[in-house]
Amino acid sequence: MTITARPAPNAAPVRLKVRKNIDSLSAQELSDFRRAVKQAMALNDKRGFEYFAGWHGVPLGWCQHHDPLFLPWHRAYLYWLELALQSEVPGVTLPWWDWSKSAGIPAAYSSAQADGDDNVLAKAAINVVNATHKSGWPTETSRAPGEVPNTPAPPYQQEWAYAMKATTYADFSQRLWTVHDTLHVWVGGTMGQVDWAAYDPIFFAHHANVDRAWRIWQAANPGANPPANILDQSLQTDPAMQVHQTLDVHQLGYEYAGTQATVPGSA
Amino acid sequence: MQRWTSQALAVPPRTSWQRADLEFEGVEHDGASFVMHVFLNNPDAGEATPRTPEQRYAGYLTVFAHGDCWGDVGHCDIPEPVSAFDQRPPHPLTPFDATLEITQALDALPDDTGEITVTVLAFNRDGDTDGVLRFKELTLLTYA
Repeated sequence: MTITARPAPNAAPVRLKVRKNIDSLSAQELSDFRRAVKQAMALNDKRGFEYFAGWHGVPLGWCQHHDPLFLPWHRAYLYWLELALQSEVPGVTLPWWDWSKSAGIPAAYSSAQADGDDNVLAKAAINVVNATHKSGWPTETSRAPGEVPNTPAPPYQQEWAYAMKATTYADFSQRLWTVHDTLHVWVGGTMGQVDWAAYDPIFFAHHANVDRAWRIWQAANPGANPPANILDQSLQTDPAMQVHQTLDVHQLGYEYAGTQATVPGSA
Repeated sequence: MQRWTSQALAVPPRTSWQRADLEFEGVEHDGASFVMHVFLNNPDAGEATPRTPEQRYAGYLTVFAHGDCWGDVGHCDIPEPVSAFDQRPPHPLTPFDATLEITQALDALPDDTGEITVTVLAFNRDGDTDGVLRFKELTLLTYA
């Protein structure tokens, strides 16, 4: 792991942004992240949270599940959303929800109030951008943990470990999407439906953890890439990205860390 | 809850394999999300059956599914490629293959087990008893 990367061969090293565990964010970091999400939710154009939420299901339906594009597509998705949030509040990064170790919904996403206001990470309006509202569409997010009977609840320690033991991309991807599916179904409500899941901000903390799992597995299995025949496949995002562009998180400008402590040097 | 039990699947001699997978081919995911619990040689398994090795429990799979169709007419239909040069990614509702590794569960069966049946208990939010799990074929794959 490293803390800097070169965006181009002759470019100077640039400090990577670090995505952190939602439970380890400082009060200021969490407040900044909430502010970025709230401001993005107020935008009804292509900079806005609702526009990005619409990529996954209604109205655009661009997501990829249950196939080798699952991990690359969602990595690209998070990359573009994170940039949009950084346009609102510079320096914010997407936090991850470590459901391999934590039981229940993180407090940052479940407390009704935060910073003296409604907590936008707990409940959010659903405003579909660039689409005519149809009868029956939900108007706000909801969660219903355990609504599908007999769905195992987090933590998913064994499932995580089982995925990490995979030695091929195909095995890893499938094992990871399986536990990913379980978390979606366990949270239930908005998160339990592909068409609406991304309107709940917790979706992105869940997928940051999925992406973190891939990053960790990549570090342990260098060169274990997706099949060669999909590396040039375009991913439906805005702008589009190809699978091979998603393979190195350093070239996307970020890294994952459990903790980060930095002190001044001697210069 | 939907209960489904397979026809018998042949099991090769124990000495010939190191890993065993059940492959559910062509799983439909255009309906409600669901979880499926899998038992071997236990066609009477029900919701109250302990999910233990003694009950020949093999594991679970969860399917994050589409839910109702909210688009315009045809939104959830899976189109054929319009030409050989169609480079669009597959439709999101294309059926997929779900794999459940059952090495330990199969290994725990008596050595002379020549065949198994697979019983699946599938649950969705609405408590449906039919149509929760829809798939094309089930295959037992073993690897030397």
